[in-house]
Amino acid sequence: MGHESNGVSNRDTPSFNFYSDRCASHMLRKKLPFLHSLLSPVSRHVGHLAGHQYDVIVVGGGHAGTEAAAAAARVGAETLLITQKIHTIGALSCNPSLGGVGKGQLVKEVDALDGLCGRAGDWAGIHFSILNRRKGPAVWGPRAQLDRQRYRDFIQSELLSTPRLTVLEGSVEELLVTEPNPEEPGHHRVTGIRLANGSHAISARSVVLTTGTFLSGSLFVGQTTSPGGRIGDAPSSPGLSHTLRERLGLRTGRLRTGTPPRIVKDSVDLSLAKLHLPDSHPTPFSFLNTHTHCKPEEQLPCYLTFTTPGVERVVRESLQLNCHIQQDTKGPRYCPSIESRVLRFPGRSHQVWLEPEGVTSDLLYPQGLSMTMPPDIQLRLIREIPPMRRAEIHTPGYGVQYDFVCPTQLSPALQVKSTQGLFLAGQINGTTGYEEAAAQGLWAGANAARWALSMPTVTLSRTESYIGVLIDDLVSRGVTEPYRMFTSRAEFRTSLRPDNADLRLTPKGFEEVGCVSSVRYQESLRVRNSLQDALTALQALFLSTSSWKKKLPSVPISETKSTLLTGLDLLQYNDVTFEMLASAFPESLSSYMEFAQRLKIEAVYKPHCDLNKKEIERIQREENMSLPQDIDYFSLPVSLSDEVREILDRVRPSTLGAATRLEGITPAAVVNLLNYVRVTEKKKETPQYFDGERVREDAA
Amino acid sequence: MLPLRSVCGGIWRAAVHTVRTSRGAPPYRLLSSTCDGAPAALADADTIFALSSGHGRCGVAVVRVSGPASATALRCMAGFTQRLPPPRTALLRSITDPRSTEVLDRGLVLWFPAPRSFSGEDSVEFHIHGGPAVITAVLQALGSVPGLRPAEAGEFTRRAFQAGKLGLTEVEGLGDLIHAETEAQRRQALRQMSGELGRLYQDWSDRLKRCLAHVEAFIDFSEDELIEDGVLNRVDVSVRDLQAEIERHLKDERRGERLRGGVQVVIAGATNAGKSSLLNKLCQRPAAIVSPIAGTTRDVVETALDLGGFPVLLSDTAGLRDSSDLVEREGVRRALERVEQADLTLVVVDSAHLPSEVDRAAAFLREHLSSVLPDTGRCLLVLNKADLLPEKQRQKLDMELRGVSGLPAVCLISCQTNEGLKDFLTVLHSSVKTLCGDPLFGAPTLTQARHRAHLQRCAAALAQYQRYRDTDLALAAEGVRVAVTSLGRITGRVGAEEILDIIFKDFCIGK
Repeated sequence: MGHESNGVSNRDTPSFNFYSDRCASHMLRKKLPFLHSLLSPVSRHVGHLAGHQYDVIVVGGGHAGTEAAAAAARVGAETLLITQKIHTIGALSCNPSLGGVGKGQLVKEVDALDGLCGRAGDWAGIHFSILNRRKGPAVWGPRAQLDRQRYRDFIQSELLSTPRLTVLEGSVEELLVTEPNPEEPGHHRVTGIRLANGSHAISARSVVLTTGTFLSGSLFVGQTTSPGGRIGDAPSSPGLSHTLRERLGLRTGRLRTGTPPRIVKDSVDLSLAKLHLPDSHPTPFSFLNTHTHCKPEEQLPCYLTFTTPGVERVVRESLQLNCHIQQDTKGPRYCPSIESRVLRFPGRSHQVWLEPEGVTSDLLYPQGLSMTMPPDIQLRLIREIPPMRRAEIHTPGYGVQYDFVCPTQLSPALQVKSTQGLFLAGQINGTTGYEEAAAQGLWAGANAARWALSMPTVTLSRTESYIGVLIDDLVSRGVTEPYRMFTSRAEFRTSLRPDNADLRLTPKGFEEVGCVSSVRYQESLRVRNSLQDALTALQALFLSTSSWKKKLPSVPISETKSTLLTGLDLLQYNDVTFEMLASAFPESLSSYMEFAQRLKIEAVYKPHCDLNKKEIERIQREENMSLPQDIDYFSLPVSLSDEVREILDRVRPSTLGAATRLEGITPAAVVNLLNYVRVTEKKKETPQYFDGERVREDAA
Repeated sequence: MLPLRSVCGGIWRAAVHTVRTSRGAPPYRLLSSTCDGAPAALADADTIFALSSGHGRCGVAVVRVSGPASATALRCMAGFTQRLPPPRTALLRSITDPRSTEVLDRGLVLWFPAPRSFSGEDSVEFHIHGGPAVITAVLQALGSVPGLRPAEAGEFTRRAFQAGKLGLTEVEGLGDLIHAETEAQRRQALRQMSGELGRLYQDWSDRLKRCLAHVEAFIDFSEDELIEDGVLNRVDVSVRDLQAEIERHLKDERRGERLRGGVQVVIAGATNAGKSSLLNKLCQRPAAIVSPIAGTTRDVVETALDLGGFPVLLSDTAGLRDSSDLVEREGVRRALERVEQADLTLVVVDSAHLPSEVDRAAAFLREHLSSVLPDTGRCLLVLNKADLLPEKQRQKLDMELRGVSGLPAVCLISCQTNEGLKDFLTVLHSSVKTLCGDPLFGAPTLTQARHRAHLQRCAAALAQYQRYRDTDLALAAEGVRVAVTSLGRITGRVGAEEILDIIFKDFCIGK
C-alpha cells in the first residue's frame, strides 16, 4: 500500500494509453509480454478524447474497476478506464492474499465468468493452500499469498492488452447527468464524466464507479486526520461525492476500515513463530490452469504468532490518542483492528499471521494487527509480541473512513435505480475485500456494457452463485457494516461449490452475458459433457453387493444390502475413490481419470443437491417475476397494510423473490403483488448439474 | 416471538408461478388477463393433507390429501394393496395406521385421480367420524406416510388456482384468503407457544441456533482464527441430546400439553363496563366476581361452554386502564395478550358513557375499538347497561348504529334486566358458527400434526449431522441447517444474520 511509492506519472498532465488487438491468451502465460514498454504511458493531449464517445467509462483501477473494465470490453463495449495512477492499477491495498473460505468461491466464480483475479492469483501466488481441506469440498477455501508486484504486473499487462479497452490516467471531477430516457425507469441519465484540471468532458453511455475508499475518504493515524482513500494517493474530487448526494439524491453512509503496519522482515525473529507451510501441490484458482506460475518448491511459508498481555496494555494506554477508534462509524465485526479485538475480548491471546509480501520483498504483513494509534505507539505494540521484539516498522498502519452508497438503491444489475447508465461496484457499495469487489466489478462492468449496447441487463440468482448471494444481500437487505462473504450466507452451499463454478456460470456467461471467451466456453462444454458421460457410465455399472465385494475386496460393503448398487452408489462410500472404480472397470471409466476428484465430489453431493433442487427452482421462478421499478406502492388498489407499503416503497424490490425475503412482508402481501409482476423471459434451461432430467421453465 | 413468517413460510409460493405473460407484456398487465386455464406443471412434489371440514357439532369429518403420493396414502391406510378403487366412487373401508396397522376408524374413501379433482392433482378424501380422537389419529397416521406433510395455510386453494381450477373472482380473493388463514394459524400458534410447550420449543430452538452458529463459525473461521476444536465436540453433545429429546417427545404422546379446542372468545373493554357480568350471564353461573368497584377482575377468568353445539372457550379479562397497581397492570397485560390470541373479541362498553349524538357515538366507538384491538381482528361490540339509557336514546342507538361503516355488529344489552340478551346470543351464535365452519379456526389437532411433522423432520436432520460429522462437515452442517429451518417453522424463521450475530458474540473473529 503506502510503502509502494510510484511517483512516475504526473497527475497534472493526463495521459492515456491505447493498445488494441493484442490478442489475450487465456492460458497462463510463460512470460508476461513486454511489460515495461506497455507501462510507459503514451502522453497525448486529453483533448483528443473530448469528442470521443465511449460505451463505458470505468472510474477506478482497483479490484472492482479492473474487472469491470475488462468485463465491459469482453462484452464488446468500447471502454475507458480512468485511474489516478496507471502504476497502481491492480495494487493490493491491504493484505497480500487472495481467496479463502467463501472468498475462494468468489474467485472461482469470477474466473468462471472469464474475470482476471483467478488467473492473476495463479500468476502471482507464492503460497497456495486449500483451507478447510478436512471439512468437505463444498466449503473448501482456495487461497494464496501473493507477490504484490507480480499481481499488479499481471493485471496491468492483461488490461493493457485487452481489445477495446483504453486506460487513461486522470482524476474525475464530476458525473455528467441529464434528463432520463422516458422509455426507461429512472429520474436521471448519466452521459459521461468531467475530468479535473481542464474540465474536459468525456461522454459515455454508461459509467461504472469503483471509487473504493476514496469517496470522501479520510485517513487516520493517531490523532492526525487527512483527506484521502489510501496513503500515498491524492484524495478523489469532492465533486463526485457531491453529484451522487446532491444531484442524484442518493443516500450514503459512512464506514471505516484499516490496515496494519508493514514490518521489516530482517528485524523479525521468525524462529520464535510457528512455521506454516503451503500445500505441497499448489492448486490453481483458474479452471483454465493446470498448474501455478510458482513452482511447488519455490513457495514461501507464513508464520503464526500470538498477542501478549503487553499488547492489550499498550492499546488501553493509548486509547485517548486514537481518534479512529473513538468514532462510532461502523467498522467490520470480522476484520477488526487489534484495538477492537482486545477491547471486545480482553484477557485473551489473539492470533497474528506474519505473511510474505512477495518473493523479493523485504517486508512482512502482520495479518490481525490492523491499527490506527500513533506510529511510535504502533512500534511499542508490535514489540510486545515475541518474534517482533526488535522489529522495525516500514510503514505504519492507519485507518480509513469513507462514504458508501446504500446499496438498496441499486438493481441486481448493480445499476443505480434512479439513474440510467450509472453502475456502482466494490467498497462504494459497502463491501470489504478484494474478492467481493472483483465479483461486483465484473458484474457491473458486464451490465454497463450491455446497457450501453442496448442489450437487456442480466442478473445472477443467489441459487446459482455466491456472486448472486452477494448482490442479492446488498440490493435487497443493504449493509450496516462492511459486508464480507461467508459460506454461511449461502443457503445452497452444498450446490454452490468451488469445484463446479464453471458448470454453474461459464455457459451462462457465454450464452447470456457475453463476457466469456469462446475458448473458455468450449472448454467448459467439454468438461460438462465428460462429467455427464462419466456419471452415466458409473450409473450403468449395476452390480449386486456380492459382485461389488469381489471387484473391490478392500471396501466394507454391508452384506445386509441385497439390492443392486451402481458405480455412483459405490462412489458415495467414504473409502471408495474414482481411481479404484476406474482400475476395476478400466474399459468404461479410465478415460475420465482427469476428473477423478470432481466425480467423487459430484457423487457424494448429488443426493443433497437433488434435495435442494425444488427449493432452488421455486426461488428462481420468483426471481423471474420482476416488479416494475416505477410502481407507486402507496396507491396500489389492493389490501396491503401501510407498514408493508412503506417497506416496499423504501426498498423497491426488483423481483418478487427479493420482496419475499424482506423482513415484514407477509405471504398475503406477496400474493397481492402478483397482479403487478412481469415475468421475465427465460431463455435458458434451469441449470441442473447432472440430474439426468433437465427442467424447462414453463414461463411463456 | 411472532411465528407469522414461519408458520406460513412458503405458503403463497407456488401461487405465483403460473402467472404468465407473453413476451413484452406491459408491466401492469393484470393477472386476470394472464392466467390461462391449462394445468400448469406442478412445482410441489410434496403431498399435503388437511382437515377440510369444520369443528364443533359434526358427525362426519373430511380429511383431504392432494399430491403425487395420494395413492400411496390410499394404499397403506385403506388397504388397497392390489389396485386402486374406481375414481370418484365412495367405498366403505377400515382406515388403519400404516405404522401399527391398528384400525383407526371405518369410513368412506374417495379417489380422485388428476386432473379431475378439486386441486387438479391426484387426491383422496377420507370421510371419518367427527370425534377429535379419530381426527387426530388419522391426521397423525397421514403424517407418517412418506412424502406427506400437513398443508400450510391456503395451500389447497393455491394448488387449485395453479391447476386452473379456480375462477377469476376466486383468484382475486386468494390474497385475502391466505391472509385470513395465516392470521388464524398465527393466533393458534400464539396460544400454543405461550404455554409450556412453547417454552420447550423455544429452548430447543435456542440450543439449535447456537449449535448451527458454532458449526458455521468452525467452517468459516477456524482456519484463520482461534476457534478451539472443543467447539465441535460440544456441538456433538448438544446435537445428540437434542435429537434424543425430540425423539422422546415424539414418542411420548402424553408429554404434549392438552390443547383446548373450540373458538376462543375474549371479553375485553374498560373497567366496570360489565364484562364479568356478561361472562356470568353467558355461562349462567357466577363464574366471575362482580362488584361495582372498578378493577375487580384482575386475572383472566376462563370458562368452557357449549354455544348451540359449538365449543367455545370464553375468557373474561381485566378492565383496560392505566393503573399504578402492579397486580392490576399485570392483569391488563394479560388481557391484551388474550385479545391478541382471540378468534373473536367481545368489546364491552358502558352505554352510559356514549355521547348522545349518533355520529359522535360512532366516532367514540371506533376510537375505543382501536385502543382495545391490535388491528382489524374479528369482534362484536356489546353496549351494556342499556337499562340506564332513556328509552328514546336506546331506540335511536339501536336503530342507527347498525351498519355504520367501520363498526362491527353492535348489540345493545343489559345484564341487569336481560334486555337484548337473546338477540345478542343469536349474533354470537352465528359468528361462532362461521368460525367453526372454517377448518383452520380452533383446530389444535391440525396444529399438533403440523408440529409433529416439523419435529420429525428436525430429528431426521440432526441424524444427518451425526452421519457426516467426521467425513464432511459441510454436509453435517446442512443437517443442522435443515433442523433449524424445520423447528423455525414452529418458533419463527431464523436468518443468516441471526446466526452471524451469535458467531460474533461468541468468538473473536479478526484476521
